[in-house]
Amino acid sequence: MKNNLEKTAKMKSKPGLIRNVIIIAVVLIVLLLLPQFASDYIIYVAVLAMIYAVLAGSYDLTTGYTGPLTFCHGAFYGIGAYASALLTLKAGFPFWVAFPVSGIIVFLFAAVVGYPGLKLKGHYFAVTTFFFGHFIYLIILNSVKLTNGPMGLRGIKPPESILGIDFSSLQASYYLILFFGLLAVVFLFFLVRSGIGKLLVSIRENEELSEAIGVNTSFYKVLAFSTGAGIAGLMGSLFAHFFRLLHPSTFTWMTSEMVVIMALVGGLGTLFGPIIGAGIITLILELMRFAPEYRFIIWSAALIVVLVIEPKGLMGIVGRIRGGKR
Amino acid sequence: MSHILEVKNLRKEFGGVIAVDNASFVVEQGTRLGIIGPNGAGKTTSFNMISGSFKPTSGTIEFEGKKVSGLKPHKISRMGIGRTFQIVRAFGELSVYEHVLTGIMAHNLRFTPTADQHHEVDRILELAKLQDFRDVTVKNLTIASQKLIELATALATKPKLLLLDELMAGLTFVEIDETLKLLRKINEEMGITLIVVEHIMKVIMELCKKIIVLNYGEKIAEGTPQEVANSKTVIEAYLGEEA
Ligand SMILES: Nc1ncnc2c1ncn2[C@@H]1O[C@H](COP(=O)(O)OP(=O)(O)O)[C@@H](O)[C@H]1O
Ligand SMILES: [Mg+2]
Repeated sequence: MKNNLEKTAKMKSKPGLIRNVIIIAVVLIVLLLLPQFASDYIIYVAVLAMIYAVLAGSYDLTTGYTGPLTFCHGAFYGIGAYASALLTLKAGFPFWVAFPVSGIIVFLFAAVVGYPGLKLKGHYFAVTTFFFGHFIYLIILNSVKLTNGPMGLRGIKPPESILGIDFSSLQASYYLILFFGLLAVVFLFFLVRSGIGKLLVSIRENEELSEAIGVNTSFYKVLAFSTGAGIAGLMGSLFAHFFRLLHPSTFTWMTSEMVVIMALVGGLGTLFGPIIGAGIITLILELMRFAPEYRFIIWSAALIVVLVIEPKGLMGIVGRIRGGKR
Repeated sequence: MSHILEVKNLRKEFGGVIAVDNASFVVEQGTRLGIIGPNGAGKTTSFNMISGSFKPTSGTIEFEGKKVSGLKPHKISRMGIGRTFQIVRAFGELSVYEHVLTGIMAHNLRFTPTADQHHEVDRILELAKLQDFRDVTVKNLTIASQKLIELATALATKPKLLLLDELMAGLTFVEIDETLKLLRKINEEMGITLIVVEHIMKVIMELCKKIIVLNYGEKIAEGTPQEVANSKTVIEAYLGEEA
């Protein structure tokens, strides 16, 4: 027991903090300088990696911290993308209005779905979200008048320039996505470490006890689900105005599945695990495009290896290397 | 002598099984009440109804003059009724410190816990003699310690009434003595009314000022420990059960 105590004490000590600060600083510097030396292709891949990192991070809020397993994060991402594109294309709103509004739309939509849905227990809710995600894809695919269905939605405009920054340039929109991505991560970081984060974790750990000590578990489950979804919606909006072309196939169940797998590989309930995991996985998958037939085989094998070695994912492996807890 | 809890004609059916059958009783403010009865008598079901986990089939429960039956558990907890579970429940991945802090956050949510709230956790850990386990992950501790943590977390919600369901089951004699002292302290110094369900007669006899006996969901006796111990109906119920 004493040993255990000392170990925990050490983990919280200064060197750990300094090391984390250094890692974060290095990552930030690389991300900031990337457009200065990287090719357009690499910048595209980096944008995709950042978007997926935030998707996995926001997914972690719902599933990693609060508990309910869901398979529809890609659908929220898709609703945000199409909502933002349509608000600008059909309703004539500027991006700077469509962007927050699409986040709010997805947040509210998820609340409406989550309120009755989250009353279902465990696997039942998980299965429901899977079909819900597929349902959204079918709606996007078949509402041809609105979404242009399988032909794809073209002509989406880049964000209007502000402060003289022209977001039609690749570099500028890279920095835009980096900025909002970081903002989302910082928001999630403070949220999961806040008092609210503690209540969410208590629901994951034991819902009945959580309720018995006074936590309105149904409210907080919906809140976490909708907040995660809302952030995915915001990422969808950024994606739409960065690539300026939307196709339903981007938002199939595979996208939701990828987010789940990224979060699992990174380590659920660690926030930075899913974020880093998603970033790395997107990079690897993209860079393996030269061998499309092996891409998913290698990826699946890597996934199995990681989860067999450490069910807690990459963060679990990092923890073990450091000789920390457990 | 005011009543903190009033239970009237409480009844709970599960399908055909009548778990609690028209039980009525009052609990005095500040007392230590024991509920005993053979397995399946309806003790846990009664707790579950008082704390809101189950809706009564019929009957009412009033806490400080307000009807609580039918409310959600978190609402009842916020009104001042705390509980522990017969089968221990815990937030396994948390440290003992975080576990108790969660109880405080549940009732007094802050974006970051205040210094006062941190002190409160330390105070409760000291009271429950858990300070040595402060940073240990809860799931790595024994069931006995986890029960104590559950109690400490319930205390963190500042209850006026605490329902303790077989808190002592599975504890050693030394641990039972320690816990008895702790319960007295909680009751006498913090003014928390206690309702305890226990199978260990020594605990019930020593701790409780009044005892209610349930059998097949019915209240068959009520009185001081002496009265109950000498009651014919009670002896018959227990002997009948054991024979
Ligand atoms: N959730 C439930 N569903 C169905 N029957 C239950 C449930 N909970 C308790 N019971 C039944 O109610 C009766 C009383 O159980 P309980 O209150 O747990 O007794 P005690 O705590 O006094 O041992 C038992 O017959 C038990 O089988
Ligand atoms: Mg029981």
